[in-house]
Amino acid sequence: MTAPRKGSLFRRAPRPRVSNPGPLGGRTALLGVCVAAAFAVVLVQLTRLQVVQAGGLSARAERQHHKTIRLSGERGTITDRNGRILAKNMDVPSITADPASVENPRATARKLARLLPVSDRSLEKRLKGNRHFAWIQRHADPAAAERVMALNLPGIHQVPESRRFYPKGKLLGHILGFAGSDNQGLSGIERAYDSQLKGGEVRLVMQRDALGRTVVPTGTNYRRPDHGADLTLTIDEVIQHHVERELDRLMEESQPTSASVIVMDPDTGEILAMAVRPEFDPNRAGRYQADDFRNRILTDPYEPGSTMKVFMAATALDAGVVTLDELIDCEGGYLPLRGGAMRDTHPYDEITFAEVLAKSSNIGSTKVAMRLGPDALYAGYRRFGFGQRTGIELGGESGGVLPSPDRWSVRSLPSIAIGQELSATPLQIITAASAVANGGRLMRPYLVKAVEKDGETITVQPIMVRRVMSEEAAAKLRDALVAVTEADGTAPKAALPGYRVAGKTGTAQKARSEGRGYAKGKYVASFLGMVPADNPRLVMLVVVDEPEGRYYGGTVAAPVFRAVAGPALHYLGIHPRTDRTVVVAGEPGMAVPAATAERANG
Amino acid sequence: MFTVDRRLFIHMDWRLVGLIAAILFVGITTIYSVTDQWSHGGAPLFLKQMIWAVAGLMVFTVLAAFDYHRLLGYAHYIFGFSILLLTAVLVLGKVGMGAQRWVQVGGLNIQPSELARLAVVLLLARYLADRVPPEGFRFRDMLIPSAFAFIPFVLVLKQPDLGSALMILFVFGVMLLISGVHPRSLMTGGLSGLLVLPFFWEWFWNSLHTYQRNRLVTFFNPEADPLGTGYHVIQSKIAIGAGGIAGQGFLQGSQSQLKFLPEGHTDFIFAVFAEQWGFLGVLVLISLFAALIWRGMDTAMKAKDLEGTLLAAGITCMLTFYVFVNLAMTLGMAPVVGVPLPLMSYGGTALVTTMAALGILANVHLQRHISLYR
Repeated sequence: MTAPRKGSLFRRAPRPRVSNPGPLGGRTALLGVCVAAAFAVVLVQLTRLQVVQAGGLSARAERQHHKTIRLSGERGTITDRNGRILAKNMDVPSITADPASVENPRATARKLARLLPVSDRSLEKRLKGNRHFAWIQRHADPAAAERVMALNLPGIHQVPESRRFYPKGKLLGHILGFAGSDNQGLSGIERAYDSQLKGGEVRLVMQRDALGRTVVPTGTNYRRPDHGADLTLTIDEVIQHHVERELDRLMEESQPTSASVIVMDPDTGEILAMAVRPEFDPNRAGRYQADDFRNRILTDPYEPGSTMKVFMAATALDAGVVTLDELIDCEGGYLPLRGGAMRDTHPYDEITFAEVLAKSSNIGSTKVAMRLGPDALYAGYRRFGFGQRTGIELGGESGGVLPSPDRWSVRSLPSIAIGQELSATPLQIITAASAVANGGRLMRPYLVKAVEKDGETITVQPIMVRRVMSEEAAAKLRDALVAVTEADGTAPKAALPGYRVAGKTGTAQKARSEGRGYAKGKYVASFLGMVPADNPRLVMLVVVDEPEGRYYGGTVAAPVFRAVAGPALHYLGIHPRTDRTVVVAGEPGMAVPAATAERANG
Repeated sequence: MFTVDRRLFIHMDWRLVGLIAAILFVGITTIYSVTDQWSHGGAPLFLKQMIWAVAGLMVFTVLAAFDYHRLLGYAHYIFGFSILLLTAVLVLGKVGMGAQRWVQVGGLNIQPSELARLAVVLLLARYLADRVPPEGFRFRDMLIPSAFAFIPFVLVLKQPDLGSALMILFVFGVMLLISGVHPRSLMTGGLSGLLVLPFFWEWFWNSLHTYQRNRLVTFFNPEADPLGTGYHVIQSKIAIGAGGIAGQGFLQGSQSQLKFLPEGHTDFIFAVFAEQWGFLGVLVLISLFAALIWRGMDTAMKAKDLEGTLLAAGITCMLTFYVFVNLAMTLGMAPVVGVPLPLMSYGGTALVTTMAALGILANVHLQRHISLYR
């Protein structure tokens, strides 16, 4: 060992420990600074990740870990007023595949295609690859599914899926609407009451691991989702059946573009039957165009024509500007007016106002309406609910068009008096007619009579919107309308032996779809009937759009009324009066049909 | 060999022992939290790690009591043995994870690179301390010690174990600087290094496996391939971030529990810890590591001779390198080079060699007191 070296302060020889501020100290201090700097960088990055970006990164973690599974309760059942099932959920097999474990996609596809209505090419495509799930056929025919499962093909499975069924097929199709395969109501009652029918939904937040496997987190309380509410409709399946049968016959005979019938209990506003053609079967909803499942009764307003004279007359009688036996001069069938003359198909001279209605004289109606004047006529129509929606539960309802008098032309009053230059839906007309039938109370029409949920039933009560005319005037008007269905009225074909039928025909020219004026040879024929006239139990409206051949309401629509009302009255236990003196016990209000028993109490 | 001396207990660096025990405890509980639900044959991993920890503590105790001067006397044998093992691993090593890192001795899988890094520190300490010239090392003086570092470097890189290879270079550089380098040599060394770098880089890059190159590329843009090579870093950052300030709690932490974070018990154990204990927990853990490193630096500065200083500095350097490379990798600041977090990551060889190195460190601390009483 030589003398202590310069440049390096290390000494080989042991020496007592003293603090060492030499170059070694400097170098280690430099290292210390480097380490401290490294720590600082780590801390900065940690702060960035765990403090600044913590929220975003946590959210990112959540996103990749969480998987929400929705379990929905079974959709409620829909029945008619007597508990007959109209819509119900059923479990049907759906065939699925695990492509990864399918051994021979081509052979498997060929075997499946023989049993299922799917092409083997599209099946083969689905069966290839290494995925673990593919639909083969959803909602398969149970028999076909059984045969598929009997083949015991590797990788082919079946799962039960709940599917909506409409056991009555096209019956009530437009009213029920339909629900999609994911339990969502898409039209009709199914849509309007979707939230009630749907039942509860339980969202389960599951965890997913890195391999995509679902892990049920500990502490999950699984609660069964609530069953959806069951609906009882006001519809009576028996009456509905008569209606649809007669509509089918009408479609066959007159080939109209569309037709509809609606039957209402006038006292409550309950709709007993409602049917639209062209038909719609909700079981096969996918095969129809949106146009086909539209419920025209409430979505499509039309120019009602002469049936509006009922409400013109009601307004005039209630206002006291005319009486039924007052003589009106019908000018021999021709009345010159500013803006165009008014004509009658059959010319009359002086006839009573009752006869004006029975024979549907346009001139007589015009003259009475002129006594009312625009404002009173408009107010009367408004009172009966025209120009406003009725408030039925279904969606898509139209309120029709009733222009206010300040927008009328000089020719508008006579036109509007006889049901032109305004439009209304069949639902509005039957609702207004029910007010005439029940003695002047405008009821809100409805389709759902009761909602049952968890054993609790909420019964829907009838709602009176307003009084629209006096009971006396209503009774007189019905009396006058009976003449319509008598031998020299416009609709003798609506007459029912043993019943007094009050009615009104309508034969309206259709407005051109383009431009002004009316289309030649295109008519809407309708018949509005109430029976029995003294205390109507049924109000019915038949609307036939563009019938071929005969086009008068009295000849096309009235027979439908008779063919439905006859058996319906019989079914309701409203018997014909063969002899006035004998049928004292059968006075209206005494023989209460079972189906409408509640009404008598209420 | 040595007598169990009363002074061994009096002058033992108990702060160091305490820090080691604390970090070992944190490591084992974290391994438990990740592997808790794993179902596989054999003992649970945390139990295995506990056994390794006990073995490590025994090695620590033996080396803490064993005079490092005598240990340095065997340095060239140890170095030779580890070079032999490294060569053996290249020839007949067990292929694991695309890399030949293990060799079977008896029933144990040994990673010779773990031993090699310690051997390099020992040999360099012995060689440099003996030969340090007054003005510091000249260029020609550095050729031999360079060979000591470069032979294991190349062998380890060939395995390939990029992390350990870089560590050997790093430790070599630091030990050389501490023992003293002539200012002119520093400059020529630096300049020639710059000149050689392109060629070296060429060779270095070509010697890398495809997956290693991908890792380096991924480091610069991890989101480019989130499900491929960038996956580790992204999941690790998500886990750390999801921990937030307070953490999600022990055995919680969906990133690790749902296995989104790979290698949660080995290289990415820090991310698991960070997710469970949050920023606050991480501050505590980092303080433990900082204190450990400080103990090492303190020991180096106060060592009674240059051998001790170099030994302590080399060991501290090794430890520091691993801690920072692992943290930087886990935090997304460095490429994924596969470096374990000392004393925490699961793995027997690494744990035992780390404990051995810390045992030597403890002995350097001890010797200065014991020699006073001699």
